[in-house]
Amino acid sequence: MNLDFSSMPQYTQLFINGLIMTIELTIISVAIGAVLGLIVALMKMSSVKILSFIGSAYVEIIRGTPLLVQILIIYNGLPQFGIKFPGFVVGIIALSMNSAGYVAEIIRSGIQAVDPGQMEASRSLGMSHSMAMRYVIIPQAIKNILPALGNEFVVMLKESSIVSVIGFADLTRQAEIVSSVTYRAFEPLMIIAVIYFVMTLVFSRLLSIFERRLRTGDTR
Amino acid sequence: MIRVDNLHKRFGNLEVLKGVSLEVKKGEVLVIIGPSGSGKSTILRCINLLEEPTKGDIYIEGEKINDKKADINMIRQKVGMVFQHFNLFPNMTAIGNITLAPIKVKKMDKKTAEDIAIRLLKKVGLEDKKDAYPVKLSGGQKQRLAIARALAMQPDVMLFDEPTSALDPEMVKEVLNVMKELANEGMTMVVVTHEMGFAKEVADRVIFVDDGVIVEEGSPEELFSNPKSPRTKEFFSKIL
Ligand SMILES: Nc1ncnc2c1ncn2[C@@H]1O[C@H](COP(=O)(O)OP(=O)(O)OP(=O)(O)O)[C@@H](O)[C@H]1O
Ligand SMILES: [Mg+2]
Repeated sequence: MNLDFSSMPQYTQLFINGLIMTIELTIISVAIGAVLGLIVALMKMSSVKILSFIGSAYVEIIRGTPLLVQILIIYNGLPQFGIKFPGFVVGIIALSMNSAGYVAEIIRSGIQAVDPGQMEASRSLGMSHSMAMRYVIIPQAIKNILPALGNEFVVMLKESSIVSVIGFADLTRQAEIVSSVTYRAFEPLMIIAVIYFVMTLVFSRLLSIFERRLRTGDTR
Repeated sequence: MIRVDNLHKRFGNLEVLKGVSLEVKKGEVLVIIGPSGSGKSTILRCINLLEEPTKGDIYIEGEKINDKKADINMIRQKVGMVFQHFNLFPNMTAIGNITLAPIKVKKMDKKTAEDIAIRLLKKVGLEDKKDAYPVKLSGGQKQRLAIARALAMQPDVMLFDEPTSALDPEMVKEVLNVMKELANEGMTMVVVTHEMGFAKEVADRVIFVDDGVIVEEGSPEELFSNPKSPRTKEFFSKIL
């Protein structure tokens, strides 16, 4: 095997563009996913049967099917209804919807991990359910939710590489482009593997520092 | 003040309360004793609707509370509850714990709520802990804070569910003293406890619950020195 990275530096800008795209896509998708996920989680925990059914079904379907299949369905399916979006938007829709399913579970389990005695104490003081949620439960649940949400971000940073199959110009797609013009299959992939690895490492480290802060904040 | 009529409660197939009736007059202290799993907590929890009765009626000051039309949040403001495991809000200071409900529920302004809170902290002997978070408090201090928190809503009745069971022995007394003082001030109280000394000294009436029914009821002297039911006798022989 002969490795030759000499032709690579001239494509630095492509890799940087791809990297920026990947980070943008991930931030936007996790942000939208968090909002959608909150809605799904609230539906799932709702006492209204039909809402909780829809919420549960959504989570099960998202978690029970491959992300690649979800993306292809959205990519090929939407045009059937006459809806055409650029690749970037399809990528965001698919990843957001996927993220929402996982975030919903993060939020639900974060809320349910709060001691039920907290809700009882709040209610016994005359607070309504929503007051207790807002002033007592959610502030405590956030301590459980934020680290897991950060973790979801790190996972999505890697998983988002799958949008390259629909031509989205993310980091992985740029590697394919570079390899098609240089006829070097292996080197661009090694480069992006290193980039993904370093990114994941950096964000994971930041996350655990943040997590430690949260925890020490609790004992005051 | 409180009247419970033929109260039944079942969890699935398990019938926990099988027709409990009792009455608590204004200013009275009622102590509920009984073996583990007999339904003592469930009685208390029904009185402020943390559990919904399966059958039977509960009246507080003449108002039926287990009624679709009853304003449950209003009723709970009048009924303070103290839990075995304190259930303090860990992310708030002592004073934050006390003022949250008055500010949010009663729409009290912060200054007034804090004045009341300071007065209550003094009353339970915690004025120097007003800015402490619950983790920094001992068990006895936690429970006294929980009592102060419940009192801040100015309830007409206080329910205590084994308030000293989770405490180290040396801390039991400080909590019981606060409760005694409260009783002496004329607070209406329903107390589930295993502290027979407290029951003898403070209770106006004691009821013995076993297997979801009231087996025996009377003044502490009657019940402790001269229990009539064999089940009551057996219970005393085990714990005394
Ligand atoms: N939410 C619930 N779901 C199912 N069963 C319950 C529930 N709450 C209580 N029980 C059951 O009801 C019975 C009575 O419980 P309760 O807590 O009222 O007893 P207790 O007299 O307070 O006992 P202890 O002294 O142990 O606190 C127990 O068998 C308990 O397992
Ligand atoms: Mg109990």
